[in-house]
Amino acid sequence: MKITAFVILISIMQVSANVPAQKVTINKTNVPLKVILDEIRKQSGYDFIFDANLFKHLEPVTVNLKEVTVENALDNCLKDQPLTYTIDDKFVIIKAKNTTYSRVTVKDISVTGKVVDENNKAIPGVIVKIQDAQTAAVTGSDGTYHIVVPGENKVLVFSFLGYQQQSVVVGNSAVIDVVLKEQYNKLNEVVVTALGIKREEKSLGYSVGKIDGKDLVRVPQENVLNGITGKVSGVTINQTGPTGSSVSMVIRGGTSLAGDNQPLFVIDGVPVSSTLNNVVQVGSGNPVDYGNAISDLNPEDIESMTILKGPSAAALYGSRAGAGVVVITTKSGKKNQGFRVDLSTNTVFDIPYKFYEKQNLFAPGTRPITPDDVLPGTVLDLPANVTTGMGIPLDKGYYATQWRRPEYANDPLVPTPVVGHPDNFKNFVNTGLTSTNSISLSNGNEQMNYRVGVTNMTNQGIIPGTDLNRNNFTAAGQFRSGKNFTFSTNINYTQSWANNRPAGNRGTNVLQYVIQMPNNIDIREFEKYWVPGKEGQEVVRLYDGADNPYFLAHEVKNAFRRDRVYGNIKAEYQILPKLSAMVRMSMDNFFERQETKIPQGYSGEPNNGAYGLGNTTNYERNTDFLIKWNDQIKGFTYTISAGGNEMYTKATDISNSSIPGRGLISANVFTINNIAPQNLLFSSAWSQKAIQSLYAFANLGWKDRVFLDLTARNDWSSTLPKNNRSYFYPSASLSLLLDKMVDLGPKVSQVKLRGGVAQVGNDTSPYQLLSTYDALDPWGTATRYAKSGTMRVPNLKPEQETSVEFGTDLGFFQNRLTFEGTFFNVNNRNQIVQNQPIPSSSGYSSTNLNMGLVQSRGWEFTVGGTPIKSDNWNWTLNINMTRTRVTLKELAPGITRLPIWNEASAGSASWVNVGEQIGNIYSPQMVRVTDPTSPYYGYPILDANGHWTSISREVANHKTGNFNPDFIMGANSLLSYKNFSLNLTLDWRFGGQFFSDTERRLRNNGVSKRAYEKEAIDAGGRTGKALSDWLKANSGLFTSDDVIRFVGGPTQGMGGYHAADGIAWDGSFAPGVIPQRDASGKITGYIEHLGEGAETKWGIFRQYDTSWNFPQVSILPADFVKLREASLTYNLPKKLLEKIRVKGMSISVFTRNIMLWTKAKVNIDPERAYVTTTEGDGRRGIQMRQGMEEFNIEPWVMPVGAKLNVTF
Amino acid sequence: MKAYGIILFFLTGLILVSCKKLDEMNIDPNGIDPSIANPSQLLTTVITRSGTTVTELGFGQISGVMQQTQEDGWSGGYNDFGWQSSSHDGTWKSLYQNLSDSKEMMRKANEANNDFFRAASLIMTAYNFGHIADFWGDAPYSEALRNDDGIMNPKYDAQFNIYKGILDDLEQANALLSKAPGSYNTINNGQDVLYSGDITKWRRFANSLSIRYNLRLSAKDQSFARDNITRILGAPDKYPLITAAADEAAFAYTGNNPSSSWPTNIVGNTDLSSEYHRRKMCSTLVEEMRKHNDPRLGVWANKVETPLHLDESKPENYDNIEDVVFNIEGVSATIKCRVIGKGVADAYVQKYGVPVNYNLDYIGMPPNWTKLSLFAYNISPATYQGRPNPHCSMLNSMYQLALAPQLKSRMLSAAEVHFDLAEIALKGWGGNAKMEYENAIRTSLESWGLTSNYTMYLVQPGVPFDNTLEQIITQKWIASWSATCEAWFDWRRTGFPNFKTVGVGAKRDVIPVRLYYPANEETANADKLRQALPNLEETMYSQQEPDNATYPVMKRNSAWAKMWLLQGTGKPW
Repeated sequence: MKITAFVILISIMQVSANVPAQKVTINKTNVPLKVILDEIRKQSGYDFIFDANLFKHLEPVTVNLKEVTVENALDNCLKDQPLTYTIDDKFVIIKAKNTTYSRVTVKDISVTGKVVDENNKAIPGVIVKIQDAQTAAVTGSDGTYHIVVPGENKVLVFSFLGYQQQSVVVGNSAVIDVVLKEQYNKLNEVVVTALGIKREEKSLGYSVGKIDGKDLVRVPQENVLNGITGKVSGVTINQTGPTGSSVSMVIRGGTSLAGDNQPLFVIDGVPVSSTLNNVVQVGSGNPVDYGNAISDLNPEDIESMTILKGPSAAALYGSRAGAGVVVITTKSGKKNQGFRVDLSTNTVFDIPYKFYEKQNLFAPGTRPITPDDVLPGTVLDLPANVTTGMGIPLDKGYYATQWRRPEYANDPLVPTPVVGHPDNFKNFVNTGLTSTNSISLSNGNEQMNYRVGVTNMTNQGIIPGTDLNRNNFTAAGQFRSGKNFTFSTNINYTQSWANNRPAGNRGTNVLQYVIQMPNNIDIREFEKYWVPGKEGQEVVRLYDGADNPYFLAHEVKNAFRRDRVYGNIKAEYQILPKLSAMVRMSMDNFFERQETKIPQGYSGEPNNGAYGLGNTTNYERNTDFLIKWNDQIKGFTYTISAGGNEMYTKATDISNSSIPGRGLISANVFTINNIAPQNLLFSSAWSQKAIQSLYAFANLGWKDRVFLDLTARNDWSSTLPKNNRSYFYPSASLSLLLDKMVDLGPKVSQVKLRGGVAQVGNDTSPYQLLSTYDALDPWGTATRYAKSGTMRVPNLKPEQETSVEFGTDLGFFQNRLTFEGTFFNVNNRNQIVQNQPIPSSSGYSSTNLNMGLVQSRGWEFTVGGTPIKSDNWNWTLNINMTRTRVTLKELAPGITRLPIWNEASAGSASWVNVGEQIGNIYSPQMVRVTDPTSPYYGYPILDANGHWTSISREVANHKTGNFNPDFIMGANSLLSYKNFSLNLTLDWRFGGQFFSDTERRLRNNGVSKRAYEKEAIDAGGRTGKALSDWLKANSGLFTSDDVIRFVGGPTQGMGGYHAADGIAWDGSFAPGVIPQRDASGKITGYIEHLGEGAETKWGIFRQYDTSWNFPQVSILPADFVKLREASLTYNLPKKLLEKIRVKGMSISVFTRNIMLWTKAKVNIDPERAYVTTTEGDGRRGIQMRQGMEEFNIEPWVMPVGAKLNVTF
Repeated sequence: MKAYGIILFFLTGLILVSCKKLDEMNIDPNGIDPSIANPSQLLTTVITRSGTTVTELGFGQISGVMQQTQEDGWSGGYNDFGWQSSSHDGTWKSLYQNLSDSKEMMRKANEANNDFFRAASLIMTAYNFGHIADFWGDAPYSEALRNDDGIMNPKYDAQFNIYKGILDDLEQANALLSKAPGSYNTINNGQDVLYSGDITKWRRFANSLSIRYNLRLSAKDQSFARDNITRILGAPDKYPLITAAADEAAFAYTGNNPSSSWPTNIVGNTDLSSEYHRRKMCSTLVEEMRKHNDPRLGVWANKVETPLHLDESKPENYDNIEDVVFNIEGVSATIKCRVIGKGVADAYVQKYGVPVNYNLDYIGMPPNWTKLSLFAYNISPATYQGRPNPHCSMLNSMYQLALAPQLKSRMLSAAEVHFDLAEIALKGWGGNAKMEYENAIRTSLESWGLTSNYTMYLVQPGVPFDNTLEQIITQKWIASWSATCEAWFDWRRTGFPNFKTVGVGAKRDVIPVRLYYPANEETANADKLRQALPNLEETMYSQQEPDNATYPVMKRNSAWAKMWLLQGTGKPW
């Protein structure tokens, strides 16, 4: 594809090289002058600007010219005409000769006038300067000025801080009044709101987030959502995995208990749902996230993006708007812009630089033995199949028999040095490479405009063998027919594909094996992963049943291809000056095919590997119309609109694969035919749904200072029972511009108060009303049907989300300082929760029902400013902050708890109890002395063997974390000096926790660096009473909740004791008390277990094992600061560009997503605290478990990128 | 005006699209409409799921508790009673799901006015509720399965009432099946994987279950049990029982997909730490069977791959695999052994505190003997949990298959009925104890394909009937292989077999007597559960459950708290 891009580049260069020909040849007889000029235009590449009236009464001309300059040609053909010309940039301006003035000698002209702002308010202090002269004047307190100009055709330049500079040519007029527009007045910006309607922001009664397209592509991102991070308040973006993984976007906290809280995306009027549920698994332990739908969107095609945060803003989009709406407007040709070619190319290298670190002190093994600990003459052995634990110390010059040393020796019993390989992770990964090339052509005139574009993106992942590719084709056009009819269309075609996407979770996840590679072995020994002479048959392994990470990376292939077409056709008719009508039909259609090939050699698929093929299609069609009437009466302006929409969607899914573990008939034949019938897993399903809607809305304005919006909508959904199918919801919002009502002085530019209240109704997914039987796998030839374990409620009601928001937008010092603040409260009630667990003794283990009240409440602040602004320097800074709390207020009678996820093997779960905040993580509770008067208060209560005891997390309801941050903050800075600009975006997440299953497993394996540094209490070698006294004096080390620490260490020097079996000095024990009981088992007192009595000192590895049941030790703080974007751009000067006939060119270098700081300090990215799973436990269908991480430990990268933009 | 026309055209199109009926759109094309199904399609589900739910435990964890097998990897819940409320969530859920399907089958049977499916539903309902009462004690019964009537949180009924209810159901089933066998519409005999539509056998199954549950109650409510049993035994024509191996309630796994495959199969899994590989024979059963030269041992277990052989003439640290010649009952045999010196053996004994086992044929792991390195049992070269151990008996190789003739879910065996009848006779409630004891052994051997070994086995040491309950129950325990839940319930009520060896790994000093109420009830049905918990009797072992500061009553939810059935019986401990 790179070659293709290169070819395109060359051909464009040729096109533009043809344009600026300096010489023209004309040979025409008796033609209108316009034809001659047109010929000059064609040959020279200059554009002509003129008033057509000038040519009305001219006689035809004859011109014979050969190889003359443009100037000569023009001089020649205009010499006998009442016309003259000037050449400005690349424009030839034709104007009438004014003989009267042209022959008058230069004389001074006295010019006076008044300078006002857009509100007709006089601006004092405006500098009025004559271009290219030293003369200037300043406006007085009434805004008037007087200046003497030496002759006509001079240019006056009006400039004032905070306003756009304006130039006026002095003709023969003596009075020039000027209206200066505010330079930095984002509050008056036009934003695209619901249904694509453009509104002035000041008129909105609710907060919207908006991002200009150029801010999204300044630093290229594969998924457009990553470009939003840190830029808009109220929005949380999480990249759940490596490039190409789903990116989660949650606006104002997730209040839905049924879904994944992803907003609705509307691209040029085409609704596109983007969920986190595209995880597909073929074979055992091979769940792959194929990325969410929004990743098909090409950031380069985006003109602007508006984030409608709450139902107030989104009420018109109906049911799916509950989680907010992202309205995306793509680029199109501009009216009268002329032909234009935009080229953009960029390349990013993702250089891995920080890795999860393991302990590098001990090789695997159950005990950290040294040659001194064993019988003299014994050879230390490090069996290849022992991959966990703390064994022989590394890098101490000890020898042991190990795997494959010396390399490929036949005799494995030759002892070799036990050496650590701390750089295994680093040596395994690649530098990632992403390259994006795009070209677009656009043009526009009065009658039509168009834009066509092509973009190609290729990515080679950090994990060897992984890739991602995308081609975008876009075509947009608008045509006018007659005066009042406009027809437009916009069609996009996207191909996304990969030959190999990495798997998550545990199984084929390469990183799992990279990080679990014993640290006495150099991972590169596995790089040539076929056994020599047995290529394609036998994999080099550590031991039988172990997996080779290079093999998994290169040979387990999870490929996909997604073809997506979306677009719309739209007709608009201006029936009367005040009445317009619009009809639109839009469609989004994708076809996705996933194909997994697992050859023989993966331990999870021992029977000749595995194969699977899945096809998913999705079709959505929306037809809508809108009729609009706008008018004004005296001070009032109003727009009243009414419209309707019909949404129809159909999804199909077919998949065929081998049953996990059961494999194929013969290896390396990847077709469904190669799966024995009894080993074939197959399924098919399809579903459809429709929603019909009618809506109306009114926008009322009074004297540009009071704005009121009212909306009303009624939906009819096919998924709800007949009686509840129809649901109505209204909204109202108000905007007050106080600065327009009261004079607040010159320092205050704007004071806006706003507020709104809105409702959104929601339906559910298809087929939720009536139960059907499940077909189980047959028993031999006997059919097995079963009653569904999920209870269906035939009289489901629609959901109802009510939101209230208040806010203010302030501007000071000509809006060089701005502030936006919003308080919001969202109550989402009557939710249709699917698969809520209920007592299975009731006959169903889960139910669908209406229940719950979830409240999301929070604040959003944005402070913006332009601290520096001068001719050469400009610095704008924008800081936003969001704090959101999502609380479960109510559930149904008899139900007090709602599961989010439950990872049985990880010992942790997330659920939410009534009254608590969503996002809590629960773990078992250690049993401790709870009597505050006891001298042992807080001490762990141990069992008779000296082990910790626990109460299950469900019964104890023992909260150990919450995965939502306390607040998030983003900062954007744009500093420019002349043609250079430096852009920075920072993102700070404060608070919250995540559960690292990687850390937990490696800790249990004895290789976590953090565990041996933080969990063992080094009592300085004290023993007996000295030890127990010291522990009692320092009981804070082990008495606080969720601190699970033992006394001891891996060696004598690190606090270890001589272990009970006398093998090594790695003895350790759990400090605490053992209860004494009477005959009935009641506790009568405690025996100290503090090192003074009969404590059994177990090897340290054993302590990690016994604390396996306390996963809270691996719950880590999620705080971090990331540099989301940094770029330095140089715009080439116009003068230089003119020489090479280029309209614009910029070069930039950039970097992105650099982790600056984490509180946890384990080199795991807290943002990636997601586990991909195909089980939608808890909240059904959510395939991303938030708040937990399981070998989702790609190294942190230092991206280095360069980008070139050229416009012809 | 042309444009008006275009707009009108679009609007018309919109209206046409909208005419599609919203109702029609919401008919599920993917599921099976219950109205087109017949009860036989539910029958297979109920039988197979009921059988496999109990077999999973009876061949699994309870087999560990009953010291027939042990595991040497991730064994806390298996060998050591390391249970908690989440451990048996799945069992509870499955049993109630089976009941729900059984209830649905009753609904379809009523719709079709079909007595066979009515009776089958009553019998399967009794089977599942019986196990619920057996495992937990009090449980939702009268209000259970009634969510469709608006009861989402069913109350707990007294354990006795559940037993009484199922006995009534079984009585009713027997009555429903008392017509001429040919007069029933069984729809499709292939769907009846238990009896292929044989009405008489279903009737035997119902009455044999009655015997089982009356006997269960006999220690607690002797007169109730005695009256029922004597009534059944007094009318053998009216109450036929399972007395022949061919009639027992057992069905074979068909292995045509994972859910119909034997639970420890390793099809699709060559991982050496599979369920099959980590499961080893337990010394308690192995030694008991070796005492009697039990032929069934060869059907259930593999011989040790490489016996250990101590050769004190060798150097202390000698350790080598070589042929050794043995004289076995006068015959000279060459066996490949791992020959070790005394030092190797002594080091092992010192480290683990158990003797080295030099058996040449079968060796079992001691029950819950240690928590550390079980996989190293008997000087095993294994270095990781759950791997094959050449010095300990693995399960018979057939248990790694998906299907085999002997891989059956054994819901109720003829041997069990005969052992029950022997016990009843011993109580003096009628019958011949010796005859039933011998019939029990005979049918058990028949059931395992060892009919010809019966005469020989009956004269082995310790086998001839000695007129004790201990002998009956011990033999019954052996015969319960792969269906040990019943052995557990017998042990609870009789204290036999008298398991003495409880190793250091066990969570408590004694074997548990019930399962924990599941986490699902603790969270989703907490109020009703808390009302039932005081009915459990605390014991000195249940007192060792961690104190729960929030809900002290939850502490009673212990595997060592006594349910009504055991209260006041002084059994098993």
